[in-house]
Amino acid sequence: MGDPFDLAAGWLQENLLIPALYQFGLMNWEDVSYGWALFAIYGVVQVLLTLAVCLPLERWRPVERWPDNGAVWVDVAYTILSRVGVLPLVTYVMFYRAQVAVSGWMADRGWVPPTLEGLFPVLLGRQVLTFVLYAIILDFADYVRHWLSHQFRWWWALHSLHHAQRQMTFWSDDRNHLLDDLIAFVWFGVVALLIGVPPLQFPLLVLVLRFLESLSHANVRLSFGRLGDRLLISPRFHRAHHGIRAAGDRSCNYGAVLPWWDMLFGTADFSGEYVRTGDPSGEEALATGSYWQQQRAGLRRLRRVFGGSGVRTVSR
Amino acid sequence: MRRPIVALFVLFAVALCGSRARAGGIAFVINSGSASVSVIDMGTMKEVRRIPTLREPHHLALSPDGTSLLVGDTAGNQMLFLDPANGEVQRRMPVADPYQLGFSPDGKLLVVNGLLRNQVDVYDAAGMKLLKRFPVVATPSHLAYSPDSSVVFVSLQDSDRLAAFDLRSMTEKWTAPVGKTPAGVLWLNGRVLVADMGTDYIAVVDPASGKVLEHVQTGKGAHNLFLSPDRKILWVNNRAGGSTVSLDAATLQPIRSYAIPGGPDDMDFAPGGKIWITRRWAEKVAILDPATGSYETVNVGRSPHGLFLNPRAPSPTDVSSR
Repeated sequence: MGDPFDLAAGWLQENLLIPALYQFGLMNWEDVSYGWALFAIYGVVQVLLTLAVCLPLERWRPVERWPDNGAVWVDVAYTILSRVGVLPLVTYVMFYRAQVAVSGWMADRGWVPPTLEGLFPVLLGRQVLTFVLYAIILDFADYVRHWLSHQFRWWWALHSLHHAQRQMTFWSDDRNHLLDDLIAFVWFGVVALLIGVPPLQFPLLVLVLRFLESLSHANVRLSFGRLGDRLLISPRFHRAHHGIRAAGDRSCNYGAVLPWWDMLFGTADFSGEYVRTGDPSGEEALATGSYWQQQRAGLRRLRRVFGGSGVRTVSR
Repeated sequence: MRRPIVALFVLFAVALCGSRARAGGIAFVINSGSASVSVIDMGTMKEVRRIPTLREPHHLALSPDGTSLLVGDTAGNQMLFLDPANGEVQRRMPVADPYQLGFSPDGKLLVVNGLLRNQVDVYDAAGMKLLKRFPVVATPSHLAYSPDSSVVFVSLQDSDRLAAFDLRSMTEKWTAPVGKTPAGVLWLNGRVLVADMGTDYIAVVDPASGKVLEHVQTGKGAHNLFLSPDRKILWVNNRAGGSTVSLDAATLQPIRSYAIPGGPDDMDFAPGGKIWITRRWAEKVAILDPATGSYETVNVGRSPHGLFLNPRAPSPTDVSSR
């Protein structure tokens, strides 16, 4: 008996995707479509798992109650697009092809892009341990990227879309400007070249990591305790990062899954306060606009930075 | 006096039976989505272990002297050399984007298709020295040689073309349209057969000009084709149709169609007449009995692709239990 998620993806591929590709003369995409089917199946499971856990938590001990929570719906759209929809397909194709092209070019010149398994051959065959080590390194790389996105005014103009949400819930993890996503993709690609990120061999572990990232945005009074908060990022810890007083370069708690980097570089805030979220320096469309209104507002903010009219990175 | 002779005979017979029971052979199945190679005991039909690869292996080829099984790891940019007798890793070598690979019939050359880098590399088989790189328009996928090793034919899957490269002069002979999505390639009776994944047929191509001479219908998404060891039957796997079709190799007339769901892809022939087929989306290998049309399955990793049977290898179960 194979992996049930993989078999579900195989069913999707065989019964829906392949007939469609064949019908439209696109059979050269069949490998990519299977990759997307896998991604989509795990994406659906991610969303359902997150929903099943986080929704009761948010109902049980919400930090805030809103009479109208309409602004949350656009975050639902971001999540579906990001975890199930077409975005991962585009990212997968771009990332995969770019990585093969660049690393193959290096291999031609006798310089093999390093991998953890290459540096430490003892890891070959110990795939779960290897994945965990990669996850830790990638989490650190993401900490650095995230911290930088708060330091440069042009980058903050894009990243502020993520912070504009005043009704932050577990759906808010994926609300990002497309250009911010693109930068993250390039960043991830460079790191992948440096350490050789393995393909999605452990979707269940990826699922757990993505669940933790969603949970950290949840509108719930929840911390993991004095020790737990120092092992994994809790909703309370990440909420401080989204606080209205912390928007921009004065923020704290930049980590995604592990708080270790914040502790190491002095950017951690373990105070027990559950703060209000949002970015008052951004225009209203960033917070409550539709998907495309938010995307356009992000571009306007970026243009103003380069136009010299100035956008403060910090709301004070 | 007769008793010791009888006893010796019995002992010999028992030993013979015992050795037959253990001589199961090894099947190597590449799990493209799990970055590994499954080692399967052909006697017990059980996966014995997995050999880790770096990233994404797809295809394999036995070296001309039979001492190494080369596994191309595309995204890992690595060629893995395995001992075909037991699966031990002999060495790893950096090679850019090794997708499909194959040794020339005379054993002198190795052609490696770089699917995503749009290149066809020709290596000296003995020293693994790169002799020539042919840039191509799109995604070189499958390959086949002319019997005299002078030409290699490569399907360019994202285009409608087949390319022919002269390996004596190291020049491109021609690139010609042969179908919507050309995939598997095979030399048969002085013609080149190309499976067209975008249609339900294989194209019969003139190797001198690249001109399509005729089409032979096999099933939706004709993907890969193989010649039986006795050279009498042509087997075609149809990706979209979920079927494997046998044709008379001399006349190309269809004989029988077998339902093999789950994206049938590569194929190899076991000595007893059964046919092993990887099923890309089912995490399984099908072992088809062509006489009955039924098949058994062996569980493997995600997206099983390349396949190689070594029936003469000692049972890996016995080896691993020693």
